[in-house]
Amino acid sequence: MDKPDPTRQAKTRTIKESLSREERQKQLEFQREAVVHLNALYNYSLHLTMNPSDAEDLVQETYLKAYRFFNSFERGTNCKAWLFKILKNNYINRFRKNSKEPGKVDYDLIKDFYHSIKDTRNDTSETDSDYFHSLLHEEVYQALHSLPEEFREVIQLCDIEGFTYEEIANMVESPIGTVRSRLYRGRKLLRAQLEEYAKKYGFNNDNDNDQ
Amino acid sequence: MNCKKAGVLISACVDGELSLSEERDFLLHLSECSECRGEYEDAKKTKMIIREKIIQFKAPETLMISIMQLTSFNTKEHEESLLYE
Repeated sequence: MDKPDPTRQAKTRTIKESLSREERQKQLEFQREAVVHLNALYNYSLHLTMNPSDAEDLVQETYLKAYRFFNSFERGTNCKAWLFKILKNNYINRFRKNSKEPGKVDYDLIKDFYHSIKDTRNDTSETDSDYFHSLLHEEVYQALHSLPEEFREVIQLCDIEGFTYEEIANMVESPIGTVRSRLYRGRKLLRAQLEEYAKKYGFNNDNDNDQ
Repeated sequence: MNCKKAGVLISACVDGELSLSEERDFLLHLSECSECRGEYEDAKKTKMIIREKIIQFKAPETLMISIMQLTSFNTKEHEESLLYE
C-alpha cells in the first residue's frame, strides 16, 4: 500500500510539465503583448497620480491584475487599451477616493512635479539648458491639466496614446458620440489656454510673421 | 452643411474618425468656408502640440524589473520540477 505507484507518479509529472509549459507560454505571450506597453502605462499613471511612487504602484498593480486575468484578454484586440482600462479602474478604486477636489488645479504642484521628474526621468535627448523648450513643455502640460478631467482624459488617450474613438469609448464607458464631443470641446478649451501662454511669450502670430 | 454642424466634426476629422459620407460633406463645407478651414487648421495644430510637447518618460528600471519578476514568479518552481525528469 505504501509502495509508490509508478503510473501515478508519471501522471503527476505530466500534469506538472504541461502546467509549466502552459505557464511559460502565458508568460512569453504576456511579455510580448503586455509588458511592451510599460512606458505608456507608466506615463499615463504619472498623469493620473502626479506622483512617481504612486505611479509605480499603480502600474505594478495593473500588471499583476492583468497577468492574473490574462486569459480574459480577447486575443487580437488592442492589449494596450485593455491594460489602460485596468489601470484606470485601479486608479479610481485606489487613489481617487482620497484625492483633492476635482477641477481645482494646483499649478505649483504641477510645476514641482514636472521639474522634479523631468530632471531624473527624462528620456529625451533634449538638453535642459534649452530654457525655451522646457518652458513650453511645462506650459502645455499645465494647459492640459487645467482642463476638467473628462476632457483631459480623452485628449490624452487620443492624442498622446493614439487610441481610436471606439477604444476610448470603451475605456471611459461612454458612447462614441460622447467621446467625439468631449474631444471637440476639450480641444477648444485647450487651444484657448495655449493661446494665452503663447500670447504671454509673443510667439503665436502664425499668420502675420513667420520668424 | 452649415458651420455649426461642421464645427462639431472638426476634431473628429483631425483624428480620421469621420464616416465616409460625413467626411465628404465636411470637406465640401471646408472648401467653401474659410472660417471653418481656419478652425480645422487650428485643431490640427493643437493635436500636434500635445503630441510633441508632452514629454514621455521612461519607466524606471526598477519598475521594469519588478514587472518582469511579477510575470515569472512561477517559473523557478516549474523549472525545478522539470529538472527531475
